[in-house]
Amino acid sequence: MPRIPFGDWVNDSVEWLRTHMDWLFDFIKTVFQNMWDGFYDVLSAPEPLLMAGIFAVIAFWLRGLLGGVLAFAGFAFIVSLELWDNAMMTLSLVLVSTVVALVIAVPVGIWAARSKTVSGIVRPVLDLMQTLPAMIYLIPALLFFRMGAPAGIVATIVFALAPGVRMTELGIRQVDKELVEAADAFGTTPRNTLFRVQLPLALPTIMAGVNQVIMLGLSMAALTGMVGTPGLGADVNAAIGQLDVGLGAEAGISIVILAIYLDRVTSGLGGQVSPLGRRALAKLRAAQGLNVWNYRPRPVVAMAGVVALALVAGGMGIFGDGDSDSESVADAKNVGQGKEVKIGYIPWDEGVASTFLWKEALEQRGFKVTTSQLEAGPLYTSLAQGDIDFQTDSWLPTTHASYWKKYGKDLEDLGSWFGPTSLELTVPAYMKDIDSLEDLKGKGGTFDGKITGIETSAGMMGLLKDKVLDAYGLKKEYKVVDGSTPAMLAELKSAYAKKEPIVTTLWSPHWAYSDFKLKKLKDPKGAWGKGDGVHTLARKGFSKENPQVGKWLKNFKMSEKQLTSLEAEINKAGKGKQQEAVRTWLKQNPGVLDKMAPLPKNAGGDENKRPLKAAYFAWDENIAVTNLWKRVLEKRGYKMELTPADVGPAYTGLAQGDLDLNLDAWLPTAQKSYWDKNKANLKDLGSWYSPTSLEVAVPSYVKGVKSLEDLKGKGDKFNGKIIGIEPGTGVMQALKDKVLPGYGLEGEYEIAAGSTPAMLSELKTAYAKKEPIAVLLWSPHWAYNEYDLTKLKDPKGGFGKGNTIRTLSSKDFPQQYPQLTKWLKNFKMTEPQLASLENEINKAGKNNEPKAVDAWLKKNPGFEEKMTAVQ
Amino acid sequence: MSRLQAEHLYKVFGRRPTDAVEKLRHGADREELRAEGTTAAVIDASFTVEPGQIFVVMGLSGSGKSTLLRMLNGLSDPTAGQVLFDGQDLTKLSARELREVRSKKISMVFQHFALFPHRSVLENAAYGLEVQGLPRAEREKRALEALELAGLKGWEKSWPDELSGGMQQRVGLARALATDADLLLMDESFSALDPLIRRDMQDQLLELQKRLKKTIVFITHDLNEAMRLGDQIAVMRDGRIVQIGSAEDILVTPANDYVAAFTQDVDRSRVLTAGAIMADPDTAYGTRTPDGKELKTAKDVLAAAPATVTESTPIIELFTPCSTSGVAVAVVDDDGELIGVVPRARLLAVLGEPMTPEDAPAGAVIPAQDISKDAGVEQDDDAEGDGGKNVGKVSSGA
Repeated sequence: MPRIPFGDWVNDSVEWLRTHMDWLFDFIKTVFQNMWDGFYDVLSAPEPLLMAGIFAVIAFWLRGLLGGVLAFAGFAFIVSLELWDNAMMTLSLVLVSTVVALVIAVPVGIWAARSKTVSGIVRPVLDLMQTLPAMIYLIPALLFFRMGAPAGIVATIVFALAPGVRMTELGIRQVDKELVEAADAFGTTPRNTLFRVQLPLALPTIMAGVNQVIMLGLSMAALTGMVGTPGLGADVNAAIGQLDVGLGAEAGISIVILAIYLDRVTSGLGGQVSPLGRRALAKLRAAQGLNVWNYRPRPVVAMAGVVALALVAGGMGIFGDGDSDSESVADAKNVGQGKEVKIGYIPWDEGVASTFLWKEALEQRGFKVTTSQLEAGPLYTSLAQGDIDFQTDSWLPTTHASYWKKYGKDLEDLGSWFGPTSLELTVPAYMKDIDSLEDLKGKGGTFDGKITGIETSAGMMGLLKDKVLDAYGLKKEYKVVDGSTPAMLAELKSAYAKKEPIVTTLWSPHWAYSDFKLKKLKDPKGAWGKGDGVHTLARKGFSKENPQVGKWLKNFKMSEKQLTSLEAEINKAGKGKQQEAVRTWLKQNPGVLDKMAPLPKNAGGDENKRPLKAAYFAWDENIAVTNLWKRVLEKRGYKMELTPADVGPAYTGLAQGDLDLNLDAWLPTAQKSYWDKNKANLKDLGSWYSPTSLEVAVPSYVKGVKSLEDLKGKGDKFNGKIIGIEPGTGVMQALKDKVLPGYGLEGEYEIAAGSTPAMLSELKTAYAKKEPIAVLLWSPHWAYNEYDLTKLKDPKGGFGKGNTIRTLSSKDFPQQYPQLTKWLKNFKMTEPQLASLENEINKAGKNNEPKAVDAWLKKNPGFEEKMTAVQ
Repeated sequence: MSRLQAEHLYKVFGRRPTDAVEKLRHGADREELRAEGTTAAVIDASFTVEPGQIFVVMGLSGSGKSTLLRMLNGLSDPTAGQVLFDGQDLTKLSARELREVRSKKISMVFQHFALFPHRSVLENAAYGLEVQGLPRAEREKRALEALELAGLKGWEKSWPDELSGGMQQRVGLARALATDADLLLMDESFSALDPLIRRDMQDQLLELQKRLKKTIVFITHDLNEAMRLGDQIAVMRDGRIVQIGSAEDILVTPANDYVAAFTQDVDRSRVLTAGAIMADPDTAYGTRTPDGKELKTAKDVLAAAPATVTESTPIIELFTPCSTSGVAVAVVDDDGELIGVVPRARLLAVLGEPMTPEDAPAGAVIPAQDISKDAGVEQDDDAEGDGGKNVGKVSSGA
């Protein structure tokens, strides 16, 4: 019998259609996508509970009070499962499919009812459409319409069309022939016969068909997740891929709720739409009389309710919209500028982990990232067609060799980021005596002659059947059972629990090795071949269009430790929270992000080209914070010149525009006079530290001195000296003019003016010798970290109110440096952070500030990211 | 001018119907055609209906009467032949023109009422007017009038499924009357009703007909109904019209055994009239009265007769007079002139076996058109065998 290459013919014709009819498919795709978007926009616009209310009113109208209450409860349940958006996507898909299916089905049904020939042709086509396994539509749908909603809609339409046509035809044929003849006998035109007699009478049957269409559409919608259609189907697909019973149940029950709702509502609608149905309802109402349970609002009332709720929803939408569009990425990191990147993944752990890692990384870099979970076959197809930009889970050169062979010409290999991997047959550790593939021989009876495999499409299955079994002479004894990865894992799990013998195909890395005690069977003959690397594959042309991302991906590497810890984190977080898990993991692994996606030198756009002049005072907190910013900004391509200055000149320089920035404005008190003089030409970028205080401090070993008042009469002890800082600063003024007179200390103490470093070195020396000393100090200050000091209380308020440390800039600065302005405005430090940074810088010594900052940043992971956060 | 005239109508279903008609014209019979897979539903049907007449087509199911009826308003296209309605050949009209005729001039009443279940009684009655495109107010007014005519006043808001069968058919009748069509086609319209109600409806139809003077073609399988309603009756068998005539003709001089068997169970004494069975006055001359007086003139006959009746008197009224006297009952016209006599022997004879046309009193029968010429004779001959069976069926069914 010659092989009929039927499959090849189909392939060829599909290929031909793809090349020649592309415009048509594109058109259909656009139409469906827009319809779907429209439905989804409407359904998802209101608050979920409000929308549930709208659904409930409709149910109330069509099914009575109980229907309304149950509908609300069901939809509220979906809301509480946090599946609302997905449910609305699925609902949109079903509605679009139903509308389109009916637009096709009803006319075809009418035509078939009127013509025996058409009926004869249509019937087998419908049979084909209904009986062909539904998954099979998905393949061409994917090829023609690419990933996403349109493919799902098309597959759903094809699947759901049949009952629409059949029921329409049946409904019309069922109409009493005498009635049609009567219409004819009175001279009715065929058109009017259809619209006045046949359709109204066929309507109950047609509505039953509509109901069927919706139900089939919904059942298909669950499958469409396989082609990347968003919605509950995607959840179902994910649940299958991850063997996640919980997610499966949640998505499943949501689909059931939708199904029941749609079923009841459409059958109720059937009663309302057809004249006969309305009569039956009226009769029922008359028979039962009025009571709460069977009361149904008139259509007008129901419509009014729906409109009212919709208006409320609309109003809330308008008012709630205000703060939702500030989602722009900080310029410095905004490499992506909102460019869309689509990542596809197979729900294998390493694929999930690396995909969501990249999702987070790229989003931080300003890209808009969408991920779709797919089976291996559709994934490669979509990638080759360019529907997906890249995927990170390609096992090459061995396991996915067949895909590479088929699609390689349309793909870019961006290299391996993990490896080597291995493929193997695995038995539980309790299987004694079986350590190698050779040991399997003669043990067929123990294992029932079965090797539990995974998807037939997986490369390793071919390898197993064609090479491995032959190499060890196991072909006759063992049968490879095809199935799926989840099924294999489920088998393994249940066999493991019962301690039954089982041998499965498995690969490393795999979490099963950490969950179960398993033995990888040795492969002395090397039949499995060398280990694969896990490669990142992109669609052809991706790295040309996205050189930056391409480079990042090419340089991407992960160690086994990193990968397994990330996988563990993701598993811990549970479904739907992959990205949060990635964020947690990134916090624990600082620097990974910058290594994965280093920012180009010019990341900040234009504003970093102009050198930034920052004035700083020789005070510790100012040195620390200025150096911190210098270091962080330099990493982002800025140039920053630091100008030491005194307070007065600094304010003048800023006001005149000679200087750009100062991070150490103590306001409202300490530098009040300068601020008042120059404030017209300055910009206040807000406080990054508060509250501050000025005080006199003594080491805590000086007993009995807790307050400024306690200093009185102890002048001898302190050599009659309070160690001050630079003369002319606000603190010194306050000390001299207000504090000393205020506490009656003028005669007893004199203020030793000098410099901050001098004061600190005095403190250090005295502290070491445990000598009494009183110094002028302020908070924040690292000295409090380093030494055990007592801040003397100032009950009379001689030092004035606490200041905040603010950032001041020249007037034009916010326009010149919009991004930096944002960052500075959001900048905050706590006392321990600032103190520890000051400490670090002091320890490192002069000219080693950048190193000190780096060291400190390492100890404070995430701080730098927060400073230059993408908001 | 006659209102409706059917000329050599043929209706053949199946492949190559025109060939089949040709074969039928050349003497092929129905069985031969059936063997070839074609069905001849109506074969060479010709008749004329005068304005104001009720023309009844009677036959068993499958005899082709419903098909014949549907050719009269174009629901079914004749394979051959013509339908002349007010001189217009319906078979030549376009679909649009035909619809126009159907909506304004010919209406129809159906066996199972064919009321639209999704319309109220009023909307049903107004349907034909709606098709004509009349404004709502006018069509409702006329529909109400029609409902009133049909005796359904006050029911117009009801729905068809709330009415009894008889009332539903009144709605059907009202729907047909509302359009004011000249020609009413009634397809077994009363067959689905209980006998009592059926009789009621028949009375009502006759009553209406007296006032409205429509031209009606009425299909039935019920001979009594045919006799009650029909001014003219056409008896169909196997697609052919075997006899056309008044009720008396068919009873008194059935064209063949089939018709005779059909009429067997009819209560002749009520259907037949003195005029139909009377013998020529001559036959009374020369007879004698019981007391020996010879009757020589019409005057003698009139004087001796136990009763004097008119032509339209049902013969059931002749039995008592005849039983009291051996002299024939005299039949007179409106002027009191003797036009015939009914002797006792004749009275008994007509209640017995049907007579052949030769036996019939001269002038009493209008010979059925064409029947003896082509169809009737042959039909008679070959129908002898299974005629017996048919008779059995008829009598059991009647």
